[in-house]
Amino acid sequence: MHCNACVIFIEEAIKEVASVKSVNVSRAKNHITITGDFSDTPEKIAETLTALVHTHGYTISVDKVNASAQWGDFIYALPIAGVIILGFFLLQQAGLTSLITSSDVSYGTVFVIGLIASVSSCLAIVGGLVLSLSANSAKEGGTWRTQTLFHIGRLGGFFILGGLVGLLGNSLHLGLTANVVLGGIVALVMLILGINLLDIFHFTKKLQFTFPSAFSRHVVKGSKHDHYLAPVLVGIGTFFLPCGFTQSMQLYALSTGDFMQGALTMTVFALGTLPMLALLSFGSLNIAHKPWKGIFFKTVGTIVIALALLNLANALATAGIINPLFNF
Amino acid sequence: MNTSAFISVAVSTLLVGGAFWFISVKPDTDETNAGVPTALIIDGTQVIDISAKGGYSPRKVIARAGVPTILRVSTKGTFDCSASIIIPKLSYQKFLQPSGTEDIVIPAEKAQGTLQGLCSMGMYNFQIIFQ
Repeated sequence: MHCNACVIFIEEAIKEVASVKSVNVSRAKNHITITGDFSDTPEKIAETLTALVHTHGYTISVDKVNASAQWGDFIYALPIAGVIILGFFLLQQAGLTSLITSSDVSYGTVFVIGLIASVSSCLAIVGGLVLSLSANSAKEGGTWRTQTLFHIGRLGGFFILGGLVGLLGNSLHLGLTANVVLGGIVALVMLILGINLLDIFHFTKKLQFTFPSAFSRHVVKGSKHDHYLAPVLVGIGTFFLPCGFTQSMQLYALSTGDFMQGALTMTVFALGTLPMLALLSFGSLNIAHKPWKGIFFKTVGTIVIALALLNLANALATAGIINPLFNF
Repeated sequence: MNTSAFISVAVSTLLVGGAFWFISVKPDTDETNAGVPTALIIDGTQVIDISAKGGYSPRKVIARAGVPTILRVSTKGTFDCSASIIIPKLSYQKFLQPSGTEDIVIPAEKAQGTLQGLCSMGMYNFQIIFQ
């Protein structure tokens, strides 16, 4: 169980049963307490009730299910993660930025900048976040809809916010302190999501970011299981992530002094980043149903944790707290 | 099982360790800083030129301490992080134009010790050593 909405969903489903008097689901403990008038054995009841929630991926059992950590998956996951991390760093050294030779900005240039941004250092922060969120979502039974909504939110957000930057002539990028704080927060979110993907500790589940019950109740009534709003908001929020390329594009959008030009600049840039980000999000969704998904999630978890630590070290270095540890 | 686990951990450690070594800031093996460019002093003002694109170049400059200094950062089609320059000790942060030069004034009293500059995401950096 992942969210407060799921808790409500399960409670509502079980309440429908005539013989049930009260239901109480604990998300933290993965625990459900049902009271009522039953004639069957507890095992039989659990089986009947499971039928109600099984289509959504839940199983009710009397015994505590000990999810095995499946340490064996790490034998493959760790070296694969290592190869990908090494590949990422080598890519950074390849001097992709020198591919941008033109200094006047056309929409074509902006698209190319977007393409380069999506495989450059921004991959560590935006890509890392997309990967950790989509893999977590896929792991918890999220659908293509969640991922699509994220990308729609990102494109739409870039259009509107880019237009506003152009219109108001006011940059929306954040100051030094806010930048460092945001970088730190993103790193911590990635760290928690990464550890969660490894599926070896159960305490991080409690640390997960969840919406308040009242909000979930509202959303869940309309859409049953999947959230609509959250992925869209996260998509829009990527506008503010501390990625150098995004910020340069915002500065350019600002200099246009026009809503449409600013909006189109940012949208074209977001379109340039789309292939890589879509690959990450839909790729993880696809793999989440493959037999070797355990290895995949542990690989992604390891990569996300490494990127989170990298982002954290960078945030601390920009704050002047520690000396820079890395230079790409 | 145990052998493969051991091989796996060894290979991973090697890969990740190698990757981090590759991008880490290497400590100076040469204390004399031979080959490091030195800033020029013209009419009592020290001018340090650094170009920003996909990182900063030169990454390390030696300058004289206690002299009013101008750090001149030039950009040429720079859209990456190095356009977003931060110098924590000066509380300086600026977004540079994609092409152009920017003069950052360092007063004499601040021209001491090592001044560290970074891009806003922290993956590119440069050092000015005042001595």
